[in-house]
This record gives sequence, structure tokens and C-alpha cells, in this order.
Amino acid sequence: MKELVDQIKARLRDQKIEVSEEDIESRLKKLIVDFRVPEGEARRSVLNYFFKEHGIVPQVRAGSEKVKIAEIKESGKWVDLEVKVLDLWEPASETISQTGLVGDITGSMKFVKWTKSDLPNLELGRSYLLKKLVTDEFQGRFSVKLNRTSQIEPLDVDVEAKPASKAAQLVTVAQINEPGQWVDLKVKVAQLWETNSEAISQSGLVGDETGAIKFVKWVKADLPDLADGKSYLLKNLVTDEFQGRFSVKLNRTSQIEPLDVDVEIGSIAAEFSGALVDVQKGSGLIKRCPVCKRSLAKGVCSEHGKVDGTYDLRIKAVLDDGRRVQDLLVNRETTERLLNLTLEEAKQMAMEALDHEVVHSLIESKLMGRYYSITGPRIDRYLLVESINEIPPVSRTQVDELIASAEVA
Amino acid sequence: MAGFSREVAKRIFAEELKSSNYSFRDGEDQHQYAPSYLLTPTGAKCNRVFVVGTLTEKDDIGSDTEYWRGRVVDPTGSILIYAGQYQPEAAQILACMEAPSYVAVVGKPNLYQTDDGNIIISLRAESIQRVDENTRNQWIIDTARRTLERLEALKNARPIPVSNDFATADNVPASSSSSTPEQDTDRALQHYHTDIEHFRQMVLRALSSLKADLVKSDMPSEITTAKRATIESGKKPAATPTAPEEVPSSRKSKPKKSEPFNAWPEAENEEEVETINFGKKS
Repeated sequence: MKELVDQIKARLRDQKIEVSEEDIESRLKKLIVDFRVPEGEARRSVLNYFFKEHGIVPQVRAGSEKVKIAEIKESGKWVDLEVKVLDLWEPASETISQTGLVGDITGSMKFVKWTKSDLPNLELGRSYLLKKLVTDEFQGRFSVKLNRTSQIEPLDVDVEAKPASKAAQLVTVAQINEPGQWVDLKVKVAQLWETNSEAISQSGLVGDETGAIKFVKWVKADLPDLADGKSYLLKNLVTDEFQGRFSVKLNRTSQIEPLDVDVEIGSIAAEFSGALVDVQKGSGLIKRCPVCKRSLAKGVCSEHGKVDGTYDLRIKAVLDDGRRVQDLLVNRETTERLLNLTLEEAKQMAMEALDHEVVHSLIESKLMGRYYSITGPRIDRYLLVESINEIPPVSRTQVDELIASAEVA
Repeated sequence: MAGFSREVAKRIFAEELKSSNYSFRDGEDQHQYAPSYLLTPTGAKCNRVFVVGTLTEKDDIGSDTEYWRGRVVDPTGSILIYAGQYQPEAAQILACMEAPSYVAVVGKPNLYQTDDGNIIISLRAESIQRVDENTRNQWIIDTARRTLERLEALKNARPIPVSNDFATADNVPASSSSSTPEQDTDRALQHYHTDIEHFRQMVLRALSSLKADLVKSDMPSEITTAKRATIESGKKPAATPTAPEEVPSSRKSKPKKSEPFNAWPEAENEEEVETINFGKKS
């Protein structure tokens, strides 16, 4: 046993690893005595354990090749890179000690430095020679990984790096039609929503003259809050898409610059005409959470629990022209005008009837089945009604024209 | 498109609705929760229908629980609407409504085959609401437009092979997933061998009657007579079925949903005459 221990100790010392004899012996004993492992195997096992423990991988055969970033076209290759650190991101996992973007003259690429690599940290803006990285690929994009065998050598010269290839472009909301694009927007904050995730610091709607779009600001972005109704230049946002609808995300690379000018929000309003075929639940006299303005269900806010709600009047309905349907939302002001009923009167009505539903029924009786044309911005699947008018009575000319077209058909 | 989307309410004149006899379920596996559709002769694939017309009669034909039936008349004919315990709001409104009056109905088409093979199309009302004459006029224009569009599509559809002469609902190939309007048109042609001219005339009749209505209402002196005429022609059929009404409901022991469809024996034909008169009158 003693012999074995000395052998192992010597091998470890070759790799500049000092381990106490007791440690080695107890491991060996456990394997040989308790688990009946042959001596040879036990020796190998113990050696490997301590090598691993100290980050030493059995020497790799072929050395790595010095390449440019643009030359990385395959995963699983060992490469050396001379690069500048362009960006550092928050690692998503404890197994990663650093991650970000490195670049050279040919392009930029994501890098990941594993915690186990036990390598010193890279500094933003500094240039390094990174040796023995492994290339990796995910969904067609390449990255390099720094592991235990990798080496980092700071360079005194500055590596010239091409700025991130996808430089953000200043666009309008209406031009956003592809996910994964980097864009700048000049917008006004139209709405702020209560966030439903701890990862999101703010979300809502921003808009310019061409329309409005949902935005999400991640907590990790560590950016100042946007204020309702204020205009900003938002730089370096990433576009995203879900079920055909686009949004922009503010991440750590994004910037927020307040604007002095007021951005007009999209009066390119959508229009729709059709018959009102449904007055939906949640129409009429509702209560909203005083904190987040969400409508309450039985006095309970889905975010803030039981609260004393404030009354509001609104309509959620569906217009249908026989070919398409359009969900619509009517705010309190327009609802009051449409019903010729103020919020106070609606409250009174509900009080007398001891039932909120009377307002809902009133809306149904006034609107159901009738033809309306509406205008307003379209947000998500809803059209936020700015104007709603009953379609004027059918005229004889209208009928004559239709008869004429039917006759020639 | 991903996710749930509400079915469009199709615009179909009563005459076309009543001459439909082909319904099917859509979707990959035709399980019981797959939406069901009625395909009309002009190729409207409807899971939901929007009708505005004159409610000419209404009856509670349920035994234990209320089960309301109404007849809604447009310029081309009439269609039966039903509202029972599963459509409580519609049933309540129908119960409180006076016939005749203009009503807007959103409903799901229902195909029922009688024992002797007749097919009866009715609407299970999702909602019923009283509306004004203007809305009724809008609907006629609207429905005429949509119907003409479908007829246009039929005309442009590719000719179908003659061998499909005896195609029935069973052997017309069901599409694997939701069908395109073109496929609906083709299917309608295969199944119905739609006489395009017939339905074009139907649209023209509806529009002509609307035009006559508008001419009349332009002449104030005649408004009252026109109105009285409407009420009279509406009242008659409302009165007639009350007698035969009792018979069928007591005749059958099972007062289930299917029962009411049987409850229009002889009365049906008689009333057809009434409704056609009503349509032509104006």
C-alpha cells in the first residue's frame, strides 16, 4: 500500500500537485478494501481523481490551431484566438464564470468560460491570446468555450475588433417585421404594465407615429425605468416575435436616452366595420386593482390579492364582418358616450339592482347585433376603440348599386 | 395561425341555410370536440351564423325546463332558432320578447335528420337581441354582398368531374385540417351541384324587397299601412302553431333536445306559404 501511495504522490508532484499521503491512502483503501478494486485500477482511479480535482486533463493529442473568428465553421475544434473582449454578460448558470462577446477583425463571437476552468477573469475592452478553446455550435451560431486546458495570455497590443456585426439600425415600429434584429427606436411610452415575472423589470407599450409595440425590459438589463408618457431614444433593442406579434427587448447592451421632443404615437389607426356579435365577460361595471389597474375577479387581483378595487366602465366585444373577427376594447370615456350612461349612473344602476350584471345586460341590449365602424390603434388582438359609430342607414342608392352589380354578375 | 381564434359568423339567407344538408367535423382526428361545420350550397363553411330578421313567432316547447323556439324571417324565407337551459341568456331574452319584432341572432347551425330522411336546419342561439329596422336592412345588404362573393368564387371554381354525381357527405373527402375557402367552394360544388343562377336570383329578390321597403318608408303616408302589414303577416303564423304545439310535446315521452325538431309536422308547409308571402309583400 505504501508503495502505491508513493507512486501516486510522485505522479502528482510531476504535475505540481501536493496531496497529503493520508488523503491518497484513504481513497486507495476505500477502493481496494471496501470495494474490492484491483490495485492497478485503484491507482488509476485515484490519480484521475486528483488530476480532475486540480483541473488537469490527460494531455490532449493534437495542439490547437490559431484561427480568426470568421474561420470558425465547425464545432468541437480546438482553436487559439487573438481577440478583444467586446462585451460581458451575466452568466445564466453557476457553472459559467464568465460569458460575453469576443471579437477580432473578422467578426465577433460568444464565449463561455466555465467555472471549473479556474481561469482568471477577462476584462472588458482588453485584448488576449486565448489558447486551446473548444468551438461549439447552437442553432447555427458558433461560440468558443474556455475549459480547464485553455490558457489566457493578456496581450499588450490592442486587437482591432469589428464592432458587433449586427449594428442596430434606427427603425420605426411599423418596420419591425423580423425577430432577432437589433434596432434603435424613437418612441413614447404609451402604457406600462404590471410585470408578471421576476426577470422583467418593466413591460408595456411604446409607440411612434407608425404604431405601438410591446416592450420588455429585463431586470438584468440594469437600466433606469421608463416613465409613462415620456419619449425616449431606445438603443440596441432586440426584436422578438410570439404568435405573429412582435416585441422589443431591452437587455444589458441596450441604452435609454430621454428625448426632449414629444413623439406622436401612431395615428395610423386601424379601421373595422361589422356587426357586433359578442359582448364579452368583463364588460360593463368592473373593479380594477388600485395598484396595477388590472380588472379584479371577485375582488381579487391576480397580482396583488384581495384589494379594494376602484370602479371602471368598459366594453370588451367582438365585431364580425362575415369574413374576419375583430376584438375590441372600449374605454370608459367612449363607453359612457356610447351608452349615454356615466360611471356614476352605472354604479347607481348596479346598486339598485344589487347586481353588476345589469350594466352588462344594458350593453348587450344596446349594442348586440348592430353594425358599427370603429377606428383606433390595434394592439395585440384588440383594437382600442377611439371612435365607434353606428353604420348609417341603408340608402336606396346603395341597394340599387348592389342590385346592378348582382345583375351583371 | 396558432392559438384559439373565434369562428366568424357567416351571413346566409334563410333560403340558402334551409337548403343546406351537409355538415361535418373539422380537424385532423374527427373527435367529438372538433368543431362542426355546416357547408351551404354557395360554399359558406359555417360554425356560426349571424341572422337579422323578423321574429314572427315564439313558443316555449320545453316540458320540465323552458325550451324556447322562435322563427326568424328574412326576405328569402325563415329559419328556426332554439334557446334552452344551455343558452340561458338567449332563452331569457327570447322569452321576454314580443313577436313580431326585429331580432339579431348569433347562433350555431344545427342539422337534424328526421326519421323519414328530411333534413332540418336550425340555429342554436348564442345570443338574441332586439334591433331596429336599420340593422335589419344592413344585414340584408351585408348578406347579399357576402353571398354574391361566394357565388363569384363558385363561378371561378374549377369544373368538377361528372363521376362524383352521387357524392354524399360521407364520401366527399374530408380535409385533413381546416380547409381553405377554395376547398369549401369545391366541396360545395361537388356535394350540391349548386345552381348559381338560382341563388343569384335569391339575392336579387332579397335586394328588391329591401328596395321596395325603402321606397315605402320614403313615403310617410304609407308607413303606417306598411307597418300594419308587417305586424299582420307576422302575427298569423305566430297564432297558428299554438294548437299543434301541444300535440307533439305530449306525444313524445322524451322531452329531449332532439324532440322539438320533430314538432313541426304539417304546420311546416303551411307556414312556408306564410313566410314567402311575407317576403314578397314588401
